[in-house]
Amino acid sequence: MGGQQKQIDILQGTLNMMIMKALQQGPANGYEIAKYIEQRSDELLQVEHGSLYPALRRLEAKALIKAEWRVSQANRRARYYALTKAGKRQAVIEHSRWRTLVQVITRVMRPA
Amino acid sequence: MAMLSRIRAWLWGANDVSQHDDLSQEINHHLAMLSDERLGLGATPEEADAYARRKFRNRTAIREVVHELNPLCFLHAWTAHLRIAIRTLLRNKTAYVSATAILALGVGMSVAMFSLVDAVLLRPLPFPNQESIQVIWKVDPLAGSHVEELAYPELSDLQESIPDLEFVALMPTSLYGYSRVLQNGKAEPVQIESSPVSHDFFRVLGVSPVLGRNFISSDERVGAAPVAIVSDSVWRNQLGADPNIVGRGIRLNGQGYTVIGVMAAGVEFPRGAGLWVPLGVDRAVVDRRGETFLQAIARTKTGVSRERIAVEVNAVFQRVARDHPEDYTRSQQGAVTPLVEYWTGSARVHLWIMLGASLLLLIAGIISASNLLMSRTLQRRYEIATRLALGACHGQILAQLASEGTLIAIIAAAAGLGVARLAIWFLIRWAPGDIPRLGQATLDLESLCFATGVAALVALACTVIPGWAATRMHVESALREGGARLSLSRREGRTRRFFILAQAAVTVMLLVLASLLAMSYRAMMSADIGFANRDAVSMNLQLHGPGLFSAQAFNAKYRRSFYKELLNRLRETPGVTSAAAILLRPLEGTIGWDVSYEFEFETGNKDNHVLPKTNYEVVTPGYFKTVGTPLLAGRDFSEHDSEGSEPVAIISQSLADRVREAGYAPLGSRIRLGLSHDGWSKIIGVSADARYRSITQSGSDIFVPYLQAMPPTNYLVIRGTQSVGDLATLVRRTLSSLDPGQTIAGVATIAELIDANSARHRFNMILLLWFGVCAAILAAGGVYSAIAELIADREHEIAIKTALGAHRVRLAREMVSGTLGFVLVGEAVGVLAVFAFARFGAELFYGASARDPLVLGLVAAFVFIVSLVAGLWPAWIAAGDDPRASLRAS
Repeated sequence: MGGQQKQIDILQGTLNMMIMKALQQGPANGYEIAKYIEQRSDELLQVEHGSLYPALRRLEAKALIKAEWRVSQANRRARYYALTKAGKRQAVIEHSRWRTLVQVITRVMRPA
Repeated sequence: MAMLSRIRAWLWGANDVSQHDDLSQEINHHLAMLSDERLGLGATPEEADAYARRKFRNRTAIREVVHELNPLCFLHAWTAHLRIAIRTLLRNKTAYVSATAILALGVGMSVAMFSLVDAVLLRPLPFPNQESIQVIWKVDPLAGSHVEELAYPELSDLQESIPDLEFVALMPTSLYGYSRVLQNGKAEPVQIESSPVSHDFFRVLGVSPVLGRNFISSDERVGAAPVAIVSDSVWRNQLGADPNIVGRGIRLNGQGYTVIGVMAAGVEFPRGAGLWVPLGVDRAVVDRRGETFLQAIARTKTGVSRERIAVEVNAVFQRVARDHPEDYTRSQQGAVTPLVEYWTGSARVHLWIMLGASLLLLIAGIISASNLLMSRTLQRRYEIATRLALGACHGQILAQLASEGTLIAIIAAAAGLGVARLAIWFLIRWAPGDIPRLGQATLDLESLCFATGVAALVALACTVIPGWAATRMHVESALREGGARLSLSRREGRTRRFFILAQAAVTVMLLVLASLLAMSYRAMMSADIGFANRDAVSMNLQLHGPGLFSAQAFNAKYRRSFYKELLNRLRETPGVTSAAAILLRPLEGTIGWDVSYEFEFETGNKDNHVLPKTNYEVVTPGYFKTVGTPLLAGRDFSEHDSEGSEPVAIISQSLADRVREAGYAPLGSRIRLGLSHDGWSKIIGVSADARYRSITQSGSDIFVPYLQAMPPTNYLVIRGTQSVGDLATLVRRTLSSLDPGQTIAGVATIAELIDANSARHRFNMILLLWFGVCAAILAAGGVYSAIAELIADREHEIAIKTALGAHRVRLAREMVSGTLGFVLVGEAVGVLAVFAFARFGAELFYGASARDPLVLGLVAAFVFIVSLVAGLWPAWIAAGDDPRASLRAS
């Protein structure tokens, strides 16, 4: 592990949003999603890889994403996830909701 | 089929297909990618693997979380628990089979008793709004009478003065003497219980005939055309279920009646009545206030309480008593009883006590079973500790135990229902016939609900207690001991001792009840009830004729000569030792003829209205000899004590004692009967006291000769060398040679009457003895398993002690003393409980008291000895074991 900078745990409830963000770039398997989040956060966000799967199953159950088995670039069979139509819409909604939330909280937390 | 097998695989073995499902493959892929990452950086395969696993975190936990996302997950978990439960049960067969058997017995007995209570007490009567039906009579505390009957004119007293009553009707207090001989075509005449009732009777009950019409006021007039309503069963059995019966004629007591209706099935009230006729058709009944043989039954208007009616009824009776001082005593008061209570009578208390006793047995069973299951749980502590260590939470362990408990409860409940079915079948056949509606007891919805409730209680008790013990264990120490037995923790020991204590208490309570009943039964059977000739055969002979009191319709002279002729013919028959007749045979019921009386030497001492009352009998000569009641002084009646001669009477011993106490000789004293100044009768004899109403109720009797009394002698008693059947046939034949229309009913020997009278008591006694013995066996089993447990725990210690030369007796004593101490404490608790509840059961006992120190002491000693033997047995064997074997093993 990096060790130079303190790593941050994922904020409760944001994992779904980040998964959908990752999938907006195109279909990906679980490992790729985890890597995407870690890389985009400059390795600051600590993703517990295992915890992705319950989240993926939940999204799948809500029909926001769909999955299919494909052969990966590393020539392995992997399950690839992609956003459904509803998922694409939901991803946009969640993103804007998140932006609003960040602005509001930033305002609250600004130095008095 | 493929689908089915997949579902099965999923339900029964998700863990086994784990290698093949999507999630596993996906996770495997993910792990492979992670370790590839490291391998690319030059790590060893082991390092890469460790990294991947660290990064991924708990794979199993993830699988479980994903698994629980499935909406059917609970079903899956449940089947898994169930699977393990069945395996556990099969592995520990003996313990679980015995626990289940104990529970099945407890559940079965209590469900059976509940079904009886439900049938007799809880299920509503076949009358709508039964709670607003009240039965009304009077009591006279000063004269010591519990039932003071009403006369016909009091119907209008009640009707006119109490607007809160919707309908009022009259019926006789008892049915003796009203049964009628029904003749239908050429069929054998049969005697049918019947009841004269006033015309609003069925309106009070809220029922109406299914065929034909109800009684109306014009049916109930002196001189009205005789009409009758028949019960459903009489209509089916005697009248061939004739759909056109309404309007047809039948012959009752040789008299033509028109059937105007057929009552709905199930309405056989008063108990057993098969036909009803209008009451107020006799001048002698309608006008005379002195003709008291009735009680009222009334339906109150909605919302009127029983208490309010009682106050109003009492006010009416007080006023009437003031208005007619010649007919009523001033001390009499109204008694208002709800119909349901009147209907079930004393069976109420008995059944509740039996249900209570069966529940006690069930509790003893539950205690035993959870005791057994707790030992199993303690033995399984290594397994449970392992599971906890592997990450199972307490909830899961409890869920596992709960599914075991539920499984046991379901099996026990199913087996218990079988036991209950059998028990109900048996109880109905064996129970005394005088408990109304007992025969209707079945396993119905209510009983099933009760069984389910009981089973839930069982499941809870069998889960919570062992579970509570299991989740309190120290995982580490349990694992460290590596499955070796640990001695009981202090808390577990305490639970165990509480079981022992509770069981001893329950057993003492049941056994004390049972022994008191057995003692009462013995006292009852050995009591001198005054009838030595128990082989004497008695039977009901209603001389049939027109009118309400059929026999009175004959003129007294004809009636008497009929009896004289009949008895003479019978007496002359070879094989007949003696024959006689009486007004009301012994033990026919708790209500009989009461008469107020006054001795000549007492005249003027007492207010006319507070004269004491006692049992009144009219007998023919030879009666005392036939039933075997000894005449202690004086002579029997003879045919010379007739209409024209001096009135005479025979009194029983206790009345004679009163005369002697007053300083007079009983023989030759004179006695006056009834309120009217009818004149004096000379006492010519003193008989031994006999019990006419019930074998547990001693009282005094006054007898008058049949030639000098108006009431008819309705019962024959005959004694001879022939069999009961032959004697009955002989009477039938003799009777038909005199008058072919007459018939007899209710043939029973005195012994059978005594038997029937004590049947309910015998029933209670045997049932409770059975409960008590079951409880004692359970208690012994409890002590045995407690000691066995203790020995298993301390095997090593015992072996060392034996090796060091401890005496066998001392060792055994040491092992059992603690447990037996708790048995003693439990017994003390049981004895205290018996003391506390003694007064509730008082009416069950005869000649025995629940506070009898001898009974309490003997029962306590018995339970203690049983426990001692049950405890000493394993202890003695263990103390004699070769210590080397045990020490080497450990």
